[in-house]
Amino acid sequence: MSAVLPRPGAALPPPLPGFEHVRRLWNARHGFFAARILPGEYYVTRGEEGISTTLGSCISACIRDSEKGIGGMNHFMLPAGSGDPGAYKAAGLGAATRYGNYAMEHLINEIMKNGGRRENLEVKVFGGGRILEKMTDVGLRNIAFVRDYLAAEGLAVVAEDLGDIFPRQVIYFPASGRAKVKRLRSLHNNLIADVEMHYGESLAEKPVSGDIELF
Amino acid sequence: MNANELVANVSGLVTLPDVYLRISRLLDDPDAGSDEIARAIAQDPAFTLRLLKVANSVLYRLPSAVGTVSRAVSVIGTSQVRNLALSMSVAKSFAGLPNTLVSMENFWRHSLLCALIARLLARQARRCDPDAVFTAGLLHDIGELVIFNRCPEQARQALSSVIDNDDELPVFAAEREALGFDHAAVGGALARQWNLPPLLEECIAFHHDIAGATLHPREVAIVHIANSLAEMAEIGTLDPADVAPIDPLAWERTGLEDDCIEPAVAEARAAVDDLQKLFTEAP
Repeated sequence: MSAVLPRPGAALPPPLPGFEHVRRLWNARHGFFAARILPGEYYVTRGEEGISTTLGSCISACIRDSEKGIGGMNHFMLPAGSGDPGAYKAAGLGAATRYGNYAMEHLINEIMKNGGRRENLEVKVFGGGRILEKMTDVGLRNIAFVRDYLAAEGLAVVAEDLGDIFPRQVIYFPASGRAKVKRLRSLHNNLIADVEMHYGESLAEKPVSGDIELF
Repeated sequence: MNANELVANVSGLVTLPDVYLRISRLLDDPDAGSDEIARAIAQDPAFTLRLLKVANSVLYRLPSAVGTVSRAVSVIGTSQVRNLALSMSVAKSFAGLPNTLVSMENFWRHSLLCALIARLLARQARRCDPDAVFTAGLLHDIGELVIFNRCPEQARQALSSVIDNDDELPVFAAEREALGFDHAAVGGALARQWNLPPLLEECIAFHHDIAGATLHPREVAIVHIANSLAEMAEIGTLDPADVAPIDPLAWERTGLEDDCIEPAVAEARAAVDDLQKLFTEAP
């Protein structure tokens, strides 16, 4: 459907090392290429391109160096466990937060590795919706985690759209810092929840000790 | 497979209950009086209870409670009783056609929001029967439930490509790509099979393609606008850019303007919770 040819001048920026596998499509509406990330993935760029994803109860942090325009997006959740928003702490910081810490650290480290500076980091966070009524509110737990993480790291959030009952489609442009969030209709809830549940289960099955590649 | 064949496949699974057919027959009979209609309704206790609840709901805002079927019929009007019988019959019938893609709560919530908004818009547009477009709004996406039940793989593929597509691919376009037809065509075929009034058939079949309507273009245009406004109510926005685009032809045909959006969305959001119980819960 989106086989629209890019406008003259809109070249596909070369991917940074390590991100060659991420699918990038021309986005006619925004007039950019956009990298599409799935649960558990992240993408960092220093080019004029967007990064998009679809979130149910998962979180995406959009982080960039606001002076250099280097930035990226991740997409993660904490593994299934106790439903209380604060319970990930009680369960011990090691197990449940490992995946969240991993996702946040990889994104930030990759930005710094490509020339970003910590004092210039600008953060936006999205997601954590409660898209299935009958489930425990895993979105709230993910929100609590990311807020705590950013507070502990001393990183201020300049924009957010978190919680509530909607899935979201997010597109982020690290060069300008612009993020566009589109709330999705409930028609899409089950499909998004299926993808996330599959991802959540894959996390729960992975061992949490040792130097294992987690994603 | 086309839309007609798909509908022929479900004809044994989703049927209109006797109460609708009985009421419908009586209303078409010039000799039948309203007491006969009330008697026909009373034979179905579940429908009787729902009808009384509807008569006493936010839809009518009556000064005093309605306690009997015959009073409910005279308050609501016989043609709207037929509409309600149809709406509730369909809601009940489709509970037997389950799917894994959308919960019945979420499906009927969107349909009810569309129905409520269509009714409000019809009052403003005039020369439109508000009760008829209410029913049309309630049934406009009914083809979706057939597709989700009979073609779950293609339906999943269609919804996935919508989510995957940052360029805002409409659901009906994704369905056409995955199946060769969309939910509007399936709903239209179902309406034909059920011999529903042409107004309902056109509203269902053309709510995404309003230029195709020939008999009831104003009503079709109202349901088309109401569908987008229902999406706004659903996701809590007042910005039309966030939802399915409204065909400019719809504004032209109805004489409505976009200042109708905000009050209609607000009123539907305020009323939908109470009504949802009437349509989706056991009485």
